[in-house]
Amino acid sequence: MKVGTIALNTFKEAKRDRVLYLLFFFAAVCIVFSRVLAILTVGDRVKIIKDVGLASISLFGVLMAILMGTGLVYKEIDKKTIFTLLSKPIHRAQFILGKYLGLALTLFIMTVLMATIFLAVLFFHTFRVEWPMLTAILFIFLELMLITAVAILFSTFSTPILSSIFSLSFYLIGHLSWGLETLIKKMKPGTGQTLARALYTFLPDLENFNFKTEVVHGLPIPPKIFVYSTLYGILYAAFVLGLAVWVFRKRDFI
Amino acid sequence: MGNALKIEGLHKSFSTGFIPKKKEILKGISLAVEEGEIFGYLGPNGAGKTTTIKCVLSLIFPDRGTVEIFGRPHLSSKAKEKVGFLPENPYFYDYLSAREFLSFYADLFLLNKAEKEVRIASLLKLVGLEKAAGLHLRKFSRGMLQRVGLAQALINDPSLVILDEPLGGLDPIGRKEIRDIIVRFKREGKTVFLSSHILQDIEMICDRVAIIVGGRIINQGTLHDLISEKVLFTEVTVSGLAPAELAGLGESLSVHGGKVLLKVYDEDRVGRVLDLVRDKKAKIESLIPRTETLEDIFVDMVRRT
Amino acid sequence: MGFPKEGFYLKRVSGGFALALFLVAACAGFMGLKLETDKILRAKIPGSSIIYVPSGKFLKYATFGYSALAADMIYLWAIQYYSTYEIADRFTYLDHIFAIIAELDPRYTDPYEIGSMIAGQEARDIPLALRILDRGFAKNPDMWLFPFEAGHIAQRQLKDFDLARKYYEKAMVLPGAPDFTKRLYANAAFKVTDFKTSWETWIEVYNTATDDRVKKIASNHLYQVKAEMDVDALKEAVAKFKEKYKRLPEELSRLVTAGILTSLPRDLDDKDYVYDAATGYVKPPTMWWKR
Repeated sequence: MKVGTIALNTFKEAKRDRVLYLLFFFAAVCIVFSRVLAILTVGDRVKIIKDVGLASISLFGVLMAILMGTGLVYKEIDKKTIFTLLSKPIHRAQFILGKYLGLALTLFIMTVLMATIFLAVLFFHTFRVEWPMLTAILFIFLELMLITAVAILFSTFSTPILSSIFSLSFYLIGHLSWGLETLIKKMKPGTGQTLARALYTFLPDLENFNFKTEVVHGLPIPPKIFVYSTLYGILYAAFVLGLAVWVFRKRDFI
Repeated sequence: MGNALKIEGLHKSFSTGFIPKKKEILKGISLAVEEGEIFGYLGPNGAGKTTTIKCVLSLIFPDRGTVEIFGRPHLSSKAKEKVGFLPENPYFYDYLSAREFLSFYADLFLLNKAEKEVRIASLLKLVGLEKAAGLHLRKFSRGMLQRVGLAQALINDPSLVILDEPLGGLDPIGRKEIRDIIVRFKREGKTVFLSSHILQDIEMICDRVAIIVGGRIINQGTLHDLISEKVLFTEVTVSGLAPAELAGLGESLSVHGGKVLLKVYDEDRVGRVLDLVRDKKAKIESLIPRTETLEDIFVDMVRRT
Repeated sequence: MGFPKEGFYLKRVSGGFALALFLVAACAGFMGLKLETDKILRAKIPGSSIIYVPSGKFLKYATFGYSALAADMIYLWAIQYYSTYEIADRFTYLDHIFAIIAELDPRYTDPYEIGSMIAGQEARDIPLALRILDRGFAKNPDMWLFPFEAGHIAQRQLKDFDLARKYYEKAMVLPGAPDFTKRLYANAAFKVTDFKTSWETWIEVYNTATDDRVKKIASNHLYQVKAEMDVDALKEAVAKFKEKYKRLPEELSRLVTAGILTSLPRDLDDKDYVYDAATGYVKPPTMWWKR
């Protein structure tokens, strides 16, 4: 499978990136440090560990996705390794997809590692394995997949620094969707409101992947949202990757 | 015999700069490479050699014109499966070992495991890198990178091998080795398309050439057709005679350690030099008739455009 | 004799078309899903969106000189947050949030007003409402509005006229305060039986009144204060008389002849006070507001 070959090669390249391990180190430090923080609070100590732990996995995961994704395609073009690659019988779409899956694999392993440390720290506190945490972590991973796709999209036409800024903006917009929703409710009905509503539906809503609150407080989650959120993530990522292929297919590599 | 590569009316412009200014790089390139021959693509730097090659390999999309590889449109997968490409400077994944590197490209051609092993081994042997098979490309010298690049170009046993400045930056031994490999390709029935600005090498191995200057093909044909076999002058090196004695017979180029190097323009004057040497019991160190070289026509053509 | 070129190039064009179609489909897909997920209500922990609220001082430094903007944003958010009635326990951090806004932009007056209104009317936490206004006044000692409103809250909600009086006293001397602030002060003073202050203030109001209506009001209130003082004095005298003579006086002049009072006070219109010998009640001849 040609996509698989590129994916595996991307994975080999990604796992050598020191930034990855640096971020992982900080994530691990944060998670372990939350144990120390827990001693300082009064009341329910586990909550701090859970909150900090999930936030760390999310935050550092996003940083990993952005920092690696934005360099991925750019490096190939800048270092010109793409010449030999694209002269072989592969579609440019296969190239993009391969890069994406390679990075996805890398992030998956990193998430698993961070999750393991997180569950271990929790275990030493509550003496049981907090399986429900995995639900939140699974959806954090889904969010990372979407961010990765966005990072790759920007990487196809922009330098790593600009791509990082754009990707970060995507992340912020994705978490401020409620703000736009509130604004729309206050608007008078008309073309302005309809346009705003269309924009609101198009812009990403990353809160769909945020189950941290429910999981930490043990609140019920309606099962429908699992399905819808997962599909949402998959389709949005597919759309973004499609855009990347669109940009990439007619590109001249001078 | 059909055409391994056929280019017709290739045009390409680029818009560069902050205020996009259109610059035409290829102004209508047409050439044909026959199957089984070694074709040389010459031109000064910036003429458009690499751009042409990138168009053929679909790294760049031309504005106008067609490219056919073995009769197929150049963008089709089937066409690409028969092509091998070595880029100008080696740009490879430096975190892979030579074997991993070749394995990666082999996988892109969907070779099965057994085939892959055999081919990688034989290619490494061909380019003389058997001992460095497990070494990471980061540690390779320029010459070694060139050779592993060549191996990568052959991983799919291509019928058309495209080489962009394959002899650049190599020492004389390296150049000879590559030249020998290229000639071997021809023996195996492969077609070779190589671009270069080292004319001596082109002269040595190419069957036909095309000369590109300023985005246009200014001449195309067999070497035989392009270069007349007329002798321009003869270089004679003589020892045992003083330069004064040889005066009038030719242009003295250098006098060094008892040897005199003469440039003799006339055929019969060469004869007179030989007579003189015999008479005076001197010695002919060397006698080289110089015919028109590729360099001569090249410089001439470039100057004319 | 070649291969079908047209067919191949058609494939490339259709490849692009297929991609475009895919993009549209994916886009429609996720937009539709977004509408679906919006419908699903997620359980919210009250105040969960602001679990860790940092201190205002910290935020001031963290916002890199954009503290006024941050104040605006947080205030805007707070308004939305407090208008969302579904969040049952949204008042938990009310004080904290408005303290943050005050820290970030102390001169922004709206949040103090609105914060105190939310505290007073929705959270029913009057002390908090007053605290917020106090905070506003502390940071903006030139704003009459804060003690003015605080006075009203003290007067109306707490019925604490002493507190109200203190607030009105602060408010009435500030530039821009409405004239009647003084009247409110005088009235509050009256209510806490600080007749001296009340009288003095009403005199001032009478003298500085610019129209007859205000003069009349002041005059009526002066009547009221005097009447109250006089009635109290008369009642006290009646009680003394009763203690001494074991019976109520027949009429008020008896108080003078008995030596308890030097003279009988008369109301502001120089009329006698009305006395009921049977019950011992004293009252003014006219009600002050009917003059």
